[in-house]
Amino acid sequence: MNEPGLKTRREFLRTGLLGSSLCWTVPTFLQNTMASLHAAADGQIVQGVTGKDGNILVVLQLAGGNDGLNTVVPLGDDDYRRARPTLGLRDDQVLKLGQKEKAGLHPALAGLAKSYEEGTLAVIQGVGYPNPNRSHFRSTEIWATATDENKASSTGWIGRYFDNTCAGCDAAVGITLGSQTPQAFSAKSPKGVLYEAGGSKRRRLGADGEPEADGSMAMDGDLEEGPAGGSIGDIAGSSGKINALDFLERTEMDVQVTQKEIAAASKRGKNGVPYPGSWLGNQFALISRLIAGGMKTRVYYVSQGGYDTHTGQTNAHERLLREMGDAVTAFLADLKTQGNLGRVTLMTFSEFGRRVRENASGGTDHGAAAPLFLAGGGIQAGLLGKMPSLAARDLDDGDVKFNVDFRSVYATVLEKHLGVKADPILGRAFPLLQAYG
Amino acid sequence: MAMAALPPSAWDKEKAGVLLQRAGFGGTPEEAEALARLQPWQAADSLLGSPELAQTPPPESVTRPGLTEQQRLIRRRLNLLTPKDREKKANELTRAVRAEQEKRLTDLRGWWLERMATPATAAREKVVLFLHGHFATSEEKVRNPVLLYRQNQMFRERALGSWSDLVLGIARDPAMLIYLDGARSRPEHPNENFARELFELFTLGEGNYTEKDIQESARAFTGWTLRMTKKPGEAMDEETTEPYFVNNPKWHDAKSKKIFGKSGSFDGEDVVRLALEQPAASRWIAGKLWRFYTGSSPDEETHRGLVSLWQENKGQLRPFLQAMWTSAQFYSPDLARNRVKSPVEWLVGLCRQLGRPLPAPALAAEMTAQLGQKLFAPPNVKGWDGGITWINTTSLEKRYEYGSWLVGGTLGMRRLGGMDLARLAVQSGLLEVPAPMIEGNTAENPDLKKEFAEKRKAAAGQARELLAVSPAPLAPLAGPEERQDPGRLVTHLSTRLLPGEPPPPELQARYRKAAGKTTPLNDAAVRQTVLAIVQSPVYQLG
Repeated sequence: MNEPGLKTRREFLRTGLLGSSLCWTVPTFLQNTMASLHAAADGQIVQGVTGKDGNILVVLQLAGGNDGLNTVVPLGDDDYRRARPTLGLRDDQVLKLGQKEKAGLHPALAGLAKSYEEGTLAVIQGVGYPNPNRSHFRSTEIWATATDENKASSTGWIGRYFDNTCAGCDAAVGITLGSQTPQAFSAKSPKGVLYEAGGSKRRRLGADGEPEADGSMAMDGDLEEGPAGGSIGDIAGSSGKINALDFLERTEMDVQVTQKEIAAASKRGKNGVPYPGSWLGNQFALISRLIAGGMKTRVYYVSQGGYDTHTGQTNAHERLLREMGDAVTAFLADLKTQGNLGRVTLMTFSEFGRRVRENASGGTDHGAAAPLFLAGGGIQAGLLGKMPSLAARDLDDGDVKFNVDFRSVYATVLEKHLGVKADPILGRAFPLLQAYG
Repeated sequence: MAMAALPPSAWDKEKAGVLLQRAGFGGTPEEAEALARLQPWQAADSLLGSPELAQTPPPESVTRPGLTEQQRLIRRRLNLLTPKDREKKANELTRAVRAEQEKRLTDLRGWWLERMATPATAAREKVVLFLHGHFATSEEKVRNPVLLYRQNQMFRERALGSWSDLVLGIARDPAMLIYLDGARSRPEHPNENFARELFELFTLGEGNYTEKDIQESARAFTGWTLRMTKKPGEAMDEETTEPYFVNNPKWHDAKSKKIFGKSGSFDGEDVVRLALEQPAASRWIAGKLWRFYTGSSPDEETHRGLVSLWQENKGQLRPFLQAMWTSAQFYSPDLARNRVKSPVEWLVGLCRQLGRPLPAPALAAEMTAQLGQKLFAPPNVKGWDGGITWINTTSLEKRYEYGSWLVGGTLGMRRLGGMDLARLAVQSGLLEVPAPMIEGNTAENPDLKKEFAEKRKAAAGQARELLAVSPAPLAPLAGPEERQDPGRLVTHLSTRLLPGEPPPPELQARYRKAAGKTTPLNDAAVRQTVLAIVQSPVYQLG
């Protein structure tokens, strides 16, 4: 590990300069010392990001397994209609992508359809990996670690990006909006801090008296949320290779130095457009303020849970997609007003899609390949990959087959957007996609 | 390789302190000394106590009907109302149900935390906490707190018995049947959710079963479902009535299945038996218990030893736990201070060590939730990941902040972190819901908005008093002798707060600095020293 400063910083902690006051504040001189240590380490950050330049990746996880077939819907497909007698969307309901394409977006994604027309949204179809795993946890882990489905890794792909490009840099090079560091951030030299915008979560007696969105008490109503997905997995892998005390001491220091910096940036930055009042909307509004406020963060990570729609899918899925689409649309518009849209790529992903055939409880079970979105100023709009065939002979145990390896998407973002070599991070070469103009 | 028993000669008060922390929620030096006077096996036995300790009256609110008679009457007559009135009344009822559920959940959390903080029941409750994370079930989906209580009590009663009883218990548990959709599974379309997690998370681990095993097992579990106690003319729902487990043969797929290479017309009981017969089964649970209690994955040799121990004890938890807790490997120096306390363990343990009561249930529950462990609401069916995932910049800062409340009290503080005290007080039933809070959206009515703001402010003030945390009593923390000498105070407090080997000299220096040099040390100096320990990375480990 090449971490200049860390040993020194730990010595600071050990020699007892911290923790000596009741209100637990760091003496200013120490803070300054640490800031300069961080500044020294910053030299390692790729291309010297100053907060005004340098590209940014925003990862949006749709946790629980998003139903790809009802997100990017095949048009005029009889197999789809047969497999989805109650859940299927009619051709006249979906938002067509372009004139001649045989696919359209779920009607709740109007904002994204507009982005597609404006040229800032690419849809990658049929993304997955060989021998798909249908466990939430294992499949999430595969996406997070970017390994083959039969291999394990204690580091995540974003963590390896940090390890390879800025091992000594500030922890805030990655920010997770939420309460747990995602497994994709696992690294030899862990980075990433958590910061979350306040605001209503869901389904609670609102102290503000706001009635709940879903007033139904009936058993067969929508399930508000399945097992809330979110970021799954542990930072160091289960092997416990990271010494817990080291990790704690490091985190203690990050609290001192980083949280204040982020809070300040979020005050400096201003939102230029209104955002939906949802939790996700609040998080995207915060990311936008942090970008505008000059944070040097390269990766933001946010997760929206609830996509595990085994039962009563129609309303639940529509609500989730609307929440997602509205938040992302506001975010893209805000970045445009800031002049930062060209610096940002937003990538969605979900651990798997869902079975082609709907189940008997008005839902769908765990499936395999699914589409994902790339959005941002540098993106070249279009439909990439192939809409998977739903004909019985083309299915794999009832699931659609993938035609784009998810690591091709990662490789494209790493090389074309973040400007780094993808092979050392992903272990080998993957074909790049024509997603950037 | 067998697990070596710790020789009685190696059993001392440091190890007893470690056991007290890991097997339970920590305790005082006096308790550690009492344990150290017993033989290791007896010490482990005494922590688990007698079986009757599993029996305890539930929190009162959980035993009440979910709706009052009047509310039931209204609900029965909803259809007689005009559509507009119907919607209004239905919304009122929904809010009443939600409010009652929140109150019950708060009661339930407070009740459970109290049991954890009680020395006699701590170790059993620690097993219950393990089971809650292992067979994770969340109120986010299972909205009826009575069902969560019943599951929790099932864990408590079976916590020290046989593993197969626990697995069977969860397969028939109403909350689990709702959480993983088993109750909705039908032969024409079996739901695979429970079968999958049964193998992947509960009994075997990934890679030890096939997709086909899951599909066939899902068929075997059909028929295990719920029935509602339905009164004539009443709407049926799982939120206010109490569904119970039934085996409904009409919904069971009795045809032949092939599971783990064996064929037969299996039912749910058979699936559990077949799963637990798999070689992976002992390995899975024995390894997971080791990780829970030591904070590290077992190395291969230890893992094999644990598997033999599990098999020798025929999957009985009590003798297995006692043997694990009294093995030499459990006290290996490699494991010392490498296990992060969970938020619940941190809170309960700190209160125990300080000799102070837990905060009010609403506040205690909110603290653990803010720290990442909301009881009865694990993040997903995998439960909490634990280990260093408990720690991040936000949670560590909050541990330090809450630590200062528990040491110094909250008297005179205008704000408690970012907590919405009025909401907490309302949720726990300490405060009546101020009228505007339940009257819906106030945005369009300026007068209502003002009234709302005023009532809210008043409620927050009241809540601050109702939920106030008292300062920790100082008598157990520092006697007259310790107040004479900062070094002595630090030694005394380290023994109390950091079980195991004494902390390294540089850390002791950090603590001594907090005490200052003016002797005799006054109350503020003692509190600062306690706080310096609580607000240090090493305190998060145990």
